[in-house]
Amino acid sequence: MSGADPIIETERLGHHYGDAMALRGIDLTVHSGEVFGFLGHNGAGKTTTINVLTTLITPTSGTARVCGFDVVTERLQVQRVIGYLPENVRLYDNLTAKENLRFFGQLSGVENTLQAIDEALGFLECRELADRRVGTFSKGMRQRIGIAQAILHRPRVLFLDEPTSGLDPMGVRQLRDTIVRLNADLGMTIFMNTHLLSEVAKVCTTIGVLAGGELIYRDSLASTLERFPNEASLEGIYMQLGDR
Amino acid sequence: MTRRAPSRILTLAAHEYRSALRSGVLVLLILAMVLVTAGSITIGSYDFKAQITDYATYVAQATAAGITITAPPQFYPLQLLRGVIEYIQIIGAIIGIGLGYLSVARERTGNTLRLILTRPIRARDLFFGRLLGATAVIATILAAAAIISIVLIGIVGGVWLDGAELVRLAIAFVLGIIYMLLFYALGTWVSARSKVVANGLVVALVVWLAVVLIIPQIGDTMDPDNQVPGGLFAALQVQKPDELKVLAHFSTYETIRNTLEETSLTKHFERYSFAVTGIKDKYNGKSLSTITSDKRGDVAWIAAYMALLSVLMWSGLRRERITQQET
Amino acid sequence: MTTTLIIAHQQLRSLSRSGTFVLMLGVLLVMTALAGFIGWSSHSTIISVYDETVRTLTAAGKPIPPNPFASKPRLTLLNNMIIYIPLIGALLAIVIGNRSITDDRQAGVMRVVFSRPIRRSTYFWGKLAGSTLAIIVIMAACLVLSAVALTLTNGGLLTASEFLRLVLFYALSSLYLQVFVLVGMVATLLIRSPSTGLFAAVAIWVLITFATPQFTSGLRPVASLNPVTDPATVSSSEFFRATSKAKPIAINEQYKTLSTNILSDVSTTGTIIVAAQLAPIIIALLLLGGTASQLIKRHDFSEEDARD
Repeated sequence: MSGADPIIETERLGHHYGDAMALRGIDLTVHSGEVFGFLGHNGAGKTTTINVLTTLITPTSGTARVCGFDVVTERLQVQRVIGYLPENVRLYDNLTAKENLRFFGQLSGVENTLQAIDEALGFLECRELADRRVGTFSKGMRQRIGIAQAILHRPRVLFLDEPTSGLDPMGVRQLRDTIVRLNADLGMTIFMNTHLLSEVAKVCTTIGVLAGGELIYRDSLASTLERFPNEASLEGIYMQLGDR
Repeated sequence: MTRRAPSRILTLAAHEYRSALRSGVLVLLILAMVLVTAGSITIGSYDFKAQITDYATYVAQATAAGITITAPPQFYPLQLLRGVIEYIQIIGAIIGIGLGYLSVARERTGNTLRLILTRPIRARDLFFGRLLGATAVIATILAAAAIISIVLIGIVGGVWLDGAELVRLAIAFVLGIIYMLLFYALGTWVSARSKVVANGLVVALVVWLAVVLIIPQIGDTMDPDNQVPGGLFAALQVQKPDELKVLAHFSTYETIRNTLEETSLTKHFERYSFAVTGIKDKYNGKSLSTITSDKRGDVAWIAAYMALLSVLMWSGLRRERITQQET
Repeated sequence: MTTTLIIAHQQLRSLSRSGTFVLMLGVLLVMTALAGFIGWSSHSTIISVYDETVRTLTAAGKPIPPNPFASKPRLTLLNNMIIYIPLIGALLAIVIGNRSITDDRQAGVMRVVFSRPIRRSTYFWGKLAGSTLAIIVIMAACLVLSAVALTLTNGGLLTASEFLRLVLFYALSSLYLQVFVLVGMVATLLIRSPSTGLFAAVAIWVLITFATPQFTSGLRPVASLNPVTDPATVSSSEFFRATSKAKPIAINEQYKTLSTNILSDVSTTGTIIVAAQLAPIIIALLLLGGTASQLIKRHDFSEEDARD
């Protein structure tokens, strides 16, 4: 699924919080149409990377471009072409799903918001949730509405930060199917932080591994499995990479 | 047919308004405000009506006895707003802080601020959108308080406000909106800057205590004239010219006291509102332009606080601070 | 250590490490120290004002009025504390009460605590003991500060009688503040959201401190911030002759009256009247304590931690 055009590019991307270095000069390229799985231990810098790419924070060194736009100097343009689902998003408990989505859709500048909401909910097969208050939702339901808000404006790149966190096996499976369809049917490039290696193996086309703020590995999933023929699963490969 | 999305400022403002009104906290505070307003006006109106009735009785008796009738005391129904204005000073400020705190807490708790900030929204959209939404909420609360006041003064006090009085009442309540918005900005700033947002609320309440209650109270209790029930100089039977001669010897003390009072936003709000509504007797019958000219110092202080708190609120909403991890 | 004391000890430790609590405590202690200074400064100025008035009137050949401040008891210099305790002290007490429940809830330890053999009543008594100890320690600190302030500004140690009255004043204040600890606790137990609970308690505090005096004696909110009540601000109309009957249950006013009497060295009024003035505060404590205890007994601590 690797397209020719780079859609995410970072060049010597670095970021520190006070004296703590979170990212150390990352050079990363994600091509259009890829489903990119971003792996790494806790504290490796995955969320910081997403925070930079989604314009939430300004990197302290290096550059990053999304869809050709610089995340610092062309922030608004970047925000028009990305969708983002952070980890543990709760949304507004006192509002219905539709009200939540209408708010975010309007902020994204979506025309015909109600139509866009209906399409998104239809795509995610959860139209019945539209008029219910989010405060009554389970984790899985919130997650679907969370994805809905991220795709309302048909972004070119979708950033998902630990999307499987807290989901039961059925929820994980539904999420997997959704990601595949978003990529196949809507042509979205997916950038996903995750710990769930079994899902990475089923969904991702490319993986990258972050350790201590450095990108220690990046290749297609197919090439990775060829390169480590003695490892039975992606978990074994990941452990080996982490040991290096 | 393609429908354009409304402006982001209006979207954010509408969101702020809707969320505030669905919040149990605000409903609680609004109820408290409405209750004390109604109570205060009712109490004052009974008293007001009693004074009018007493005078009417006196006139009847004096007429019957053939005694010369003294001129009626001046009845100024807007003076019944004194308690309401004082409650705006106290409770209104808490409501403002509460709104500001909730505005920040809501986004942090729902982890929705990231969803907003990753959309093509300028910092000023967020700033003005929230401010506009808060203004709408506060205006709703004070409009309710104003209507209750007008109705109760009419029904209980037996006096319906005329056009000029309604204009002055409106000005006082618009001033109240500005006053409460300043505390909204404070609540937003402190909550946005706090690592644990609930701590920001407590800090804001401490600031409220100092600005609204303690500083004005110190200023008042340092006033020699307030140390004796009925006034010190009245108790000493000292006339105004002699009073001024005496106080001239204590200019340093008075300067310190006045400086302390001058730092209180609440005092400036009180002075200007009392002047506009004629609660301060010397301003009864004076034109609004005369009053504003006389109170230009208070107006300047309020404007200065508006500038300061706008800057603080803006800095509180800067994206880097909002995205930091916290509990 | 008994379980009650363990819980009380944890409560105190948690409070002492809370930055906002320490901030509020700092404000109260600073204002206590200032109260003594402000009282002395105001008093000296007023004496000087009187002396200057005498000089001015004498020069003009006018009669000299009597000194309204002759032999005012030294403790009256602390009159501002009668305002600061119900203001700052009560807000601090509300935060203590609110925190006694929300800290455990937000840390997610309720389920951990009650999966151990601990009775609900033990938990309640532990929380109450911790809060009471906190209030007593705070009032003791204020007592020391007041005594030092009076000694420094008046050039002499307190007499035994003065010291006893000061202790009595702060003991009364501890009792009064305990009411607001319980208000904070009850509001937080009734309302899941931490901030709503805090605001509900603050709303009750506003009603007790400002609205009730206005209802029972026509004292406007700002006027009730002055320890010296101007009779002109208190209406004597028929309305208030009726509503003033509710004064006995206005705990704020009973506290102010009792405190003023203690600091003014007024040989009042007799044990029965003092008991009558204390009764509303005691009754409020019993009612709120009982309510808090019942709420803790029936509370579902297994639910997800409350959010705002």
